[in-house]
Amino acid sequence: MTEQLLRVEGLAKTFPGRRSLADVLARRPAQPVRAVDGVSFELGPGEVLALVGESGSGKTTVGNLLMGLMAPSGGRVMLDGAEVGRLSARDLRLLRRRVQMVFQDPYESLNPRMTVREIVAEPLRVHRISASYAELRTRVADALTSAGLTPVDAYLGRYPFELSGGQRQRIVIAAALALQPSLLIADEPVSMLDVSIRAEILNLLSALAREQGIGVVMITHDLSTVAAYADRIAVMYLGRIVEYGPTRAVLAEPRHPYAQALLSVVPVPDPSFRRRPVILRGEMPDPSNIPSGCRFHPRCPLAFDRCPTVDPPLFEVGPGHAAACLLVEEPEAAAEPARRLG
Amino acid sequence: MTAVLEATTSTTVEAPRRAWRSFLRHRMGVIGAAMLGIALLVAAFAPLIAPYDPYASVRVNIGDIYQAPSAAHVLGTDDGGKDVLSSLLYGARVSLVVGFSAAAIALVIGGLVGIVAGYRGGWVGSLLMRITDFFLVIPDLALQIVLVAIIGPSLGTIIFVIGALGWTTTARLVRSQTLSVRERKFVMRARAIGAGDAHILRRHILPAVLPLMLANMVLVISLAILSESTLAFLGLGDPTVISWGQMLNFAFDRGAVSAGAWWALLPPGFAIVWVVLATTLLGTALEDALNPRLKRHHLEAPGSDVARDRTVPALVPPLAEAEAPILRVRDLSIEFDVGGRSLRAVDRVSFDLRRGETLGLVGESGCGKTTTVLGILRLLPPGGRVVGGSVLFDGEDLLSLDGRALRSFRWTRLSLVFQGAMNALNPVRTIGDQIQEAIRLHAPGTSKADAARRAGELLERVGIGRRRANEYPHTYSGGMRQRAMIALALACDPDVIVADEPTTALDVMIQAQILELLGGIAHDFGMGIILVTHDLGVVAQVCDRVVVMYGGVVAEENDAATLFASPQHPYTQQLLQSFPDLAHPDRPLRGIPGSPPRLDAMPSGCRFAPRCPHVFDRCVNEPPLYPAAGGRASCFLLDPAERRP
Amino acid sequence: MSGRGGYLLRKVGWALLTVLVVITFNFVLFRVLPGDPAKSGLRDPRLNPAAVEALRERFGTDKPVFVDLEADNPFDSQFTAYLGALSRADLGTSYAFRDQPVSDLIGQALVNTLWLVLPSQLLAIILGSVLGLFAAWRRGRALDVGALTFSLFMWSLPTFFLGIILLVAGAQWFGLPTAGRVTIGANYADVWEAALDIGSHLILPTLTLTLVLLGEYMLIMRSSVLDVFGEDYILTARAKGLSTYRIIRHHALRNAMLPMVTLIALNLGFTVSGAIQVEAVYSWPGLGALTVSAVADRDYPVLQGAFLLIALSVVVANLVAELIYGWLDPRVSEG
Repeated sequence: MTEQLLRVEGLAKTFPGRRSLADVLARRPAQPVRAVDGVSFELGPGEVLALVGESGSGKTTVGNLLMGLMAPSGGRVMLDGAEVGRLSARDLRLLRRRVQMVFQDPYESLNPRMTVREIVAEPLRVHRISASYAELRTRVADALTSAGLTPVDAYLGRYPFELSGGQRQRIVIAAALALQPSLLIADEPVSMLDVSIRAEILNLLSALAREQGIGVVMITHDLSTVAAYADRIAVMYLGRIVEYGPTRAVLAEPRHPYAQALLSVVPVPDPSFRRRPVILRGEMPDPSNIPSGCRFHPRCPLAFDRCPTVDPPLFEVGPGHAAACLLVEEPEAAAEPARRLG
Repeated sequence: MTAVLEATTSTTVEAPRRAWRSFLRHRMGVIGAAMLGIALLVAAFAPLIAPYDPYASVRVNIGDIYQAPSAAHVLGTDDGGKDVLSSLLYGARVSLVVGFSAAAIALVIGGLVGIVAGYRGGWVGSLLMRITDFFLVIPDLALQIVLVAIIGPSLGTIIFVIGALGWTTTARLVRSQTLSVRERKFVMRARAIGAGDAHILRRHILPAVLPLMLANMVLVISLAILSESTLAFLGLGDPTVISWGQMLNFAFDRGAVSAGAWWALLPPGFAIVWVVLATTLLGTALEDALNPRLKRHHLEAPGSDVARDRTVPALVPPLAEAEAPILRVRDLSIEFDVGGRSLRAVDRVSFDLRRGETLGLVGESGCGKTTTVLGILRLLPPGGRVVGGSVLFDGEDLLSLDGRALRSFRWTRLSLVFQGAMNALNPVRTIGDQIQEAIRLHAPGTSKADAARRAGELLERVGIGRRRANEYPHTYSGGMRQRAMIALALACDPDVIVADEPTTALDVMIQAQILELLGGIAHDFGMGIILVTHDLGVVAQVCDRVVVMYGGVVAEENDAATLFASPQHPYTQQLLQSFPDLAHPDRPLRGIPGSPPRLDAMPSGCRFAPRCPHVFDRCVNEPPLYPAAGGRASCFLLDPAERRP
Repeated sequence: MSGRGGYLLRKVGWALLTVLVVITFNFVLFRVLPGDPAKSGLRDPRLNPAAVEALRERFGTDKPVFVDLEADNPFDSQFTAYLGALSRADLGTSYAFRDQPVSDLIGQALVNTLWLVLPSQLLAIILGSVLGLFAAWRRGRALDVGALTFSLFMWSLPTFFLGIILLVAGAQWFGLPTAGRVTIGANYADVWEAALDIGSHLILPTLTLTLVLLGEYMLIMRSSVLDVFGEDYILTARAKGLSTYRIIRHHALRNAMLPMVTLIALNLGFTVSGAIQVEAVYSWPGLGALTVSAVADRDYPVLQGAFLLIALSVVVANLVAELIYGWLDPRVSEG
């Protein structure tokens, strides 16, 4: 536990709510949007953590907070013992060298007017790292090689539009690797790619973690994509982590009803695979209007009398495996018809 | 929708070199540049070309005034007895000096305001935009007149006034461009790298904004020239210089019309037209070249989507009525005209859909799956046309239906659920209204009340509730819109619904809700469904049969259970290996090296040959036909003649 | 509905703010810039002593411009005097037309201008919309190319030059009157004869202004219809089996009118500029001609009043356009 690369403690981010003119006139206060509401986790070197959730769960905001792209409203992000939110501008620049991001859309995240060489060299120039042109060239070549773009010379002079989606995403990864970061944040790294390309990019990311000891936080809505790559999974719902644990344990025995439901509806490419999907009704509530007690209780098929009033903490359910559900404490409650809600 | 076209054109959009070539292609740009070049030459060499010096003071005899064109005065003389041609040539100097200088002022102010407002945002940005809005509301010419009247009409004043009032459009343009670049992912990525504002502005924002600013400047020049001539015509020109507007002012005020002296009126007028036309042509062409917009157009003349000489396959022997598929697609081929070339996006695609069956049409982007269904639906985008094959719906060839028959066929027998329901519903009409429209169109006798009741029932059925019928699409969430779209598709009780990526971009839980709904509908209404998707998991979950497409052809087709259990085509096999499977989380995923073929570089043999691990010489030379002998896949490996290990 | 109310309130508020800024701007313009009318006006030999006295009193040149916090009454300034006069619709007295109140002069001119601008604007919007719609529908065909060429030429042709060409042509071939609002010295037998005379004077100016605006509106409509035709809901409408006519009428027109309304509002300055030029060419006694003659006569009170009125009309017209937009688009409540 002492060797943690990244430690996130009670991270929170609140955005000011929007008020319409009518609200102002009626003196209705703005409802703050609690996008991230108390998130904690840890990540060691070479480890892959998947942050899984639907849109509105706050997973992207967590990514931005980890990057120091916005300041947290509460809690803290510690990278190698230094608190990210408290850094001076200069230290923040140093931090940026250690944390890099891979974006969702490789068609959008490369400047169409720059060549591959310029794109990969950009981080080095921004941080004024390479003393000489020769050193710059070596580091660009190394980064491209690490990202699997060989022979390097075939790519250096090309523009993004000349490359396929998979190659572009590798360029994005190469640019991130140029600074030799210790933490990579990958925000939906494959969702815009063709199915046949996805596995290669995911394999590349997990190889980087394994071989170079880079910690990877993978932010995604797709449980099935991360199943084969993540060491641990954190399932988010409305700004909170509701279940957290080793991938194998979470997939085999999810304990939070939301995680159970989410797992049960992931399409499986096997028509003979039988299971009973738990399809939740309605949609995730607005983060400006979070339900009382357990935030999942209005949609929970197993909710009982305590759920609307008690906000459950994460209960340990196995080694390194925790779930924020009162049923962990009171497994029999769901079986008592008198206590069931709805 | 136009995935095919995008695969071949959109990738080229932003290359700087292409912009130059497309500029050359724009003949109007070249003409404009040439016209402007001539004007610049004339202005530069006016003293050499002009037969007289219009600034020299001469004694005027009454007989010199308004002389008709002659050898001595090619364009006659004006109200002061001066040579019109000479004044005309010298006038070019004033027009161009004012045009360029004023535009430069406007560009600097507008550029700065636009970049600051767009990049900084916040209250500074809002304040700047409010000021811009204010100046947009104040009528230019009126303010110019007032300012020039107060300050006094000198050339400098005029340049300053036109420039200082002409920056608003530039500011708005630059602001919106800066805003859109600032929001783009590559700028966010640069920020995440740790780049500061200076770096982002210099490396990312300016290179994207400057070219457009220059194109805009050319257009501002034309505006400035028009303004200058208007002011001069209204008597507010610099009295010490000769400009075209002033020539017109003098001629018009001093009896050229009644004297019939057309030569004093037309040349300066058309000189203005010349220069303004030149700069407008050039500026427009520059803007087009830098920011090409290949616009989709869903209403291009109907009927052109099926080639007149399409090859129609011999009719398959009719099956017994009871088991006849509701939809039989045979050898459907579709081509697109892109840049003068015909590219085949779909090649001899065949499949059947039985009543009540759900068929999955699977493939990666650019494989032709959406184009196939658009071809069947007769909704191909312009430039696309069916060049061969037949689409038999209940025995009738859809491809030979004419306008009226096609319209009455649509929605009553075959309806459609689009990928992005966000855009597929009209934003300014209520959901209920859009459903009623379909009902009343195809059952003209239906009363408004009946149609409304039916629309309410449909919304109830898809889980929205009739109370929300009177709301507009923007009040619905993404999942609700897709439900509304399904209610709309059910409006006329069709036999078949085509659902094109109905759950892409929706969250997993919403996807599950929509798939459950579609399955329920197929069951309750006994409808056939064609589900177009790239998601093998979705297919496995809801489809009875599967057609796998690759590079515009059918790679494999089978019932779902067999296809997933024992895929025959190497592409299907590899696709399944690269697809994550939660039921077997320990199975390693293997991607397929390479990428799907581009339309303009289709392999001549098997389309999968360049990525296929089992490729052999025949695959490269000869396209395998579906179904290859002995299988339900188009692969030579299945040919008994090929005894491969 | 509260959202729409909010939109209305916002737009009206913005318009009021603009009016305030316009008034202040107009005041400052004539006070601070060189050529201060109060001073240069006092030197104008055409003024009689009484007028000079009236000017002094009106401008109160001895008072502070905006506020003087050290004075007994800090708000007794030139600006408050100006506002007070404005609230009484007192815009001063013309120099050139002795003893004529400016408000009377520009009031009459405004009526004349509206006679010219409203029919032209209406005609241009209707024709421009129809032509733009057809050009977009038949993109790349003869009609489209013709419409584009026409717009390009109309754009490049200075309005006053088009006016001159039409004036010569109209007078030469059709014998139409080319100057003023009525035939000078005419005696009308009845109302109809008067209407006919005014009508015939209106033909050429209206035609000129319509042609100029038409090119612009056609282009706007064309591109906005093209945008709509590229939308997926048009494809939905086609898939539903709607005929092209119905698609255009029920799905394309209203959606295309939205940007059209906005752009017409943004282009009101263009209309004003066209009107000024047309009035100058045809000696049409409207606001534009009055402005131009006020410049020639250095008649600053009239210039100031006319400019204020022009700017205010545009603000009001702009507001009307915004309200129409709000009425057409259900999404404004998102605002």
